[in-house]
Parts: sequence; C-alpha cells; structure tokens
Amino acid sequence: MAIGEFAAIGAGLAIGLSALATAWAQSKIGAAGVGALAEDDSLFGSVLILTALPETIIIFGLVVSLVIAGFI
Amino acid sequence: MSTIKPVEMTKVSITGPKRELDTVISTLYDLKVLDIDETTYEGLDKGEPFEQAEELSQLLVDIRSLKSKLPEAESDNGNGFSLENIQDSVKEINDEVDRLTGETDKLKSRISEVNEKIKFFKKIRGTDLTYKDLKGTGTLNSLVTSSKNNLDEIKGDFQIFNGAQASVVVYRDDSDLESEIRNRVGEEIPVPETDHEGQAEEIIKKLKKDRKELKSERNRIRSELEEISKEWYPRIDGADDFLTERVEKAEAPIKFGTTDKAFIAQGWIPSDQYEEVEEVLAEACEGKIHIQKEEEDEQEPPVKHNNSGPVKPFESLTDLVSVPRYNEIDPSIVLMLTFPLFFGFMIGDAGYGVTSFLVFYGGMKVFPKAKAIFKSLMYASVATFIFGLAFGDAFGYVIFGGHSELAAVTGIHLFEQIPILWHRAEHLGQVFNIAAIIGIVHVNIGYLLGGYNEYVKHGLKEAFLEKGSWLVLQIGALMTYMYGFAVGGPVLALSIILLFVGEGVEGLVEIPSLISNILSYLRIFGVSVAAVVLAQVVNSMAQPLLTSGSVVGLTAGIGLLVFGHVFNTFVKIMEGFLQGIRLHYVEMFNKFYEGGGRKYLPFGAE
Repeated sequence: MAIGEFAAIGAGLAIGLSALATAWAQSKIGAAGVGALAEDDSLFGSVLILTALPETIIIFGLVVSLVIAGFI
Repeated sequence: MSTIKPVEMTKVSITGPKRELDTVISTLYDLKVLDIDETTYEGLDKGEPFEQAEELSQLLVDIRSLKSKLPEAESDNGNGFSLENIQDSVKEINDEVDRLTGETDKLKSRISEVNEKIKFFKKIRGTDLTYKDLKGTGTLNSLVTSSKNNLDEIKGDFQIFNGAQASVVVYRDDSDLESEIRNRVGEEIPVPETDHEGQAEEIIKKLKKDRKELKSERNRIRSELEEISKEWYPRIDGADDFLTERVEKAEAPIKFGTTDKAFIAQGWIPSDQYEEVEEVLAEACEGKIHIQKEEEDEQEPPVKHNNSGPVKPFESLTDLVSVPRYNEIDPSIVLMLTFPLFFGFMIGDAGYGVTSFLVFYGGMKVFPKAKAIFKSLMYASVATFIFGLAFGDAFGYVIFGGHSELAAVTGIHLFEQIPILWHRAEHLGQVFNIAAIIGIVHVNIGYLLGGYNEYVKHGLKEAFLEKGSWLVLQIGALMTYMYGFAVGGPVLALSIILLFVGEGVEGLVEIPSLISNILSYLRIFGVSVAAVVLAQVVNSMAQPLLTSGSVVGLTAGIGLLVFGHVFNTFVKIMEGFLQGIRLHYVEMFNKFYEGGGRKYLPFGAE
C-alpha cells in the first residue's frame, strides 16, 4: 500500500514520539522501583506492574501509526 | 485435587500445663503444619522465650557472619561438632579470619599498585633514561606526557625522549621554560615512586619480581584460609542449621498466652489435617493437653495454594504480584492456561521453542531457588514449539509448506496430525485481528472471574451490577457497531446505569480504560512482528556468506547464524515473558484479583 510521504513521516512521528514518552516515563518509574526493591524485594510484582503501565502510550502510538499507514 | 480456591483452614487452640510446653513445641516443629497466630485471649501474659534464646541468637549471628566470610568447603567432619566447642572457638576463628582477609586486601591493593607502576614504565620503554633522570637532578627537570604538540616552536634548552607510548621531556630547571612547556603538552603522567634504580627495562623486570612475591604471599594466605575452612566450614554449617532450629523453638512461646502454670497456643492448620494433629499431639503429651477448634473470628486465615501437577509451578508467578485472599479465586490456574499460550503465540517458532527450553532447563539447574518459575516457563517453551510447527516456522525460515513434507523428511508421521494454521510470517496482518480478539476474550474472562468472586463475597446482585454491567456495555457497543445507535444506544445506557449503581462514579471513570486494556493486547501483534523480523534479519545477514562458496564464508555464515539466534533467543524470552505476564498482571488481574492475603507459613517449615 503506497502512502503519501507526509503520511509516512506522520506515522514515524506517531510511533517514535510515543516511544520516547514511554521511555521517559519508564525511566522514572524504573529508577524509583529499583530503589524500592533495594529496601524490600517482595515488592517485585508491584514494581513490575508499575513499570509496565506506561507501555500503553506506545501501544496507542502503534495503533495511530498503523491507521495513518493505512494498515487498519 | 486441585481447586480454584486456597486450602480450607481451621483455627485451633492448644492448652496445657507449662511442663508440656517443650514437648508441644518440638512436636509442632516436626509436624510442620501449624501457622502460629498471636493469642487473642485477653488477660493472659505473653509467653517468655526459653532461657537461652538470647544467647543462642547472638551465637547464631556470629556463626552466620563467619560462614559468609569463609570459602565454602566440603569435608566429612561435619557431624562432629558440639555446641560448647563451637561457642568457644567461634570468636577465635572469627578474629583469625578477619586478620587473614585484612591481609589479603592489603596485598591485593599492593599488587594493583605494582601493576600501575609496570604500566607506567612500559609506556616510556625505549628511552635510555634512568629513574633518577625522571625524578630530576639539580639542574634538570623532566615531565612525562603522551601528547607533545608544537614543542618545536619553543626556544630553550630541552630535549624530547620518545618511549613506546609516552615521551619524556627533559629541560633545564627554569620556571619560564617549564611553564611554556607545560602549556603546550597534554596531560602530564605522574612518575610513580619506586625503590628500584636503572632504566625502564630493568625496573620493569624488578617490579615483576616484586609482583610475583606478593602474589605468592597472597596465595599462601588464601590456602591458609582454605585450610581453616576445610576444618571448620562443615561444622559451622551444621551448627547454623542446628541453632536456627533451636532459636526458632526457643522463641515460639512469645506468641503464646500464659498464666503461672499453663499456656495456650493458637494458630491455623489445614482443615483436613486437624485430626492427625490432634492425635499426634495427644500421644506425645500423653493426653495432658487439650486441643480444640476455635470459632471463626474476624481474622482472615492464612493462604495455602491448593493446586496440583501442572498448575503448581504457576503459583510462584501469582505470588510475584500478591498472595491471593483466602476467599478469592487463586489465579494460578488462569496463568497456567493462558500465559504459555500468549508466550507461544508471540514467539511462535519451533527453533526458539527448543532453544528457550534449553535455557530454562539450564536456569532451573543453576538457580534452584527459582525452580518453579523456570518450570512454568518451560510450559511456555513447549507452547512456542507447537505454535512454531503450526505456523511452519523455525528460526525464521519457513520450514515446510505442509506438515506432510516434514513427516516425509523426518519419517515421523505425527507431524501430519498437526494442522498448519497459516504461514504467520507471510500474513502478519491477520495476527493483528487475532491479537484484538484475544484481548476481548481474555479481558472478559477476567470479568467473569471477578463476577464469581463478587458472587461469593456479596451475592448475585452485586456480581451482576459490578462485573456483569461491563459485559452488557460491550454487548451494547457491539450492537451499536452492527445495527446503529438506535439499537445499541439503549443497551449502552442501561449498562452505564448498572455500572453507576454497582461501582459508583469510579466505575464510570474506568470506562475508557476498558478500551485501552483491550488495545494493550495489540502488543501480541507487535511482539509477533518483532519475533518474525528479528529472526529473518539474522538469516538475511548470513545468507550471502552461506552462498559465497568459500570455506571461510561458510564458517562465518554459520557463526553468524549461531550467534544471532542465541542472541535472539534471549531477546525473545525477555519479550515473551514480560509482555505475556504483564497482560495478565495489569490487564486481566485488575478485573477480578484483589490479592494481599497472608501466606501460610507453618512453624518448623523452611
């Protein structure tokens, strides 16, 4: 499926920027989470969940870029 | 027998005269079934720990600290320890071990100092300057540097000696000249102190000799430590186990209630073991104690998983988030049913199924503590292998068009029985739709389980209002999509009202999260694409090498394939595990799982 050049750039931006946002959020949560684990390692499950939460952002980015690219 | 709920517990109390306290405690310790609770009767004194408790726990601390310092050693004099013997010698050995480790540390730092010096003299190797020249004489000074730009432009009395990696600039002792040189050279390398004389070559030789001596000294101390360890480690290890048990027993009465002459202990045991416990205890104390079931009070019983066989390893994945509550569904069985499927579907490659299985098997051997988790992951590997066959993929190659081909090649007719689903690598678009469908199904299983939990706790009406309303909401959305808003609208409105009645405003606020939860399952599609493409990238990089025709090319190509696919195996394990497990923890569990139960820890068990 051929798409316009600007659409392609838009799709790239959609996933790229949302990936950056996810990474930024995860870095903060991850750093705090590791700190918490150093105190009490029974928190592993909760820390894993909290760290995984921002991944929703990039899933949205993925969906938007697929829509732009005409995949959906 | 496996059930979806934790083991049923009964609260018991044991009452008896204080003379029987010892017998009761050691019998309970051996039985390993009673999860001791602090006694709830008012007006009773707290029990006192046995007399030696404090002394023993102090000794235990010393022994554990000593154990951590000694290298592990095995020998056969492990059984021959006596407590007095250990008690007397522990301090002495501890001092000796501290002295030896202190000396090893000192030697270590001296060896690294010598290494630094050798490094320095290797840099200026090749100049015929002696150590004295480097340190400067009355009229001459010198500095060592690795960069000497534009020194030629300076007028003055100086000379450059080039060594292997650094140069020495020797100049007349004159502050103007010195500052000019210093301005032009890069970072100066300080000349280390040494007692040795002569040129670099000679000094290196002497320093190496020093280093050899230091190392042999270090080895001597090391073998001394090993000697001590060989003699004492097994005994200390044995004393550790022995004392741990003693201390635990000595401190058990703290949770009991006592009067002058009698004690009462309370705790939880699995209901089906009550009779056995009653019998064993009565026999041990010759009937001098009284055991009875207590009325259920407001306390929540401790939680012991009640799973058997294949579900068992998944308990540790459940506990990783939180121990279930006593009266809710144990989600281990859900994890067992869907986690391997998610992992297998995402990676979906027969080759990686085999390699990841090997990795998990190795992990189980290397980390026996995490055995259960590795075991559960091995199920995921098997699923990966089966999905790989169903997709016809192995290491990113489409291995066969149909399974009859594979059966013909291997001679195993079983392969003909496995239907090929579709060539996933060529139709990734379809994976997208499947991921969305998986999401809808999985989230709704979560709502159904949540409904069951609510039904058990609060009854059918609450279950329908709080969880059923979500199902109605989705049905409404589907009807709106298929038949238009006129048909679906009323259903949607009804579900929103139900939800408001059931969960209040919080429920309404949660509605958008349903969409994001289902969309989150699209990561299955994302990881699938990555899994297929990563494998193909390695193959396409190796392809030109493999077909180059030369032996070197072929070897390099095979090397690249091996390295690439080993690397991919670990990347895929990480992706498959993290993404697979988070879909359960975050998207599914929040539909039904409360968690926060107290784990059943019977007295005497490890």
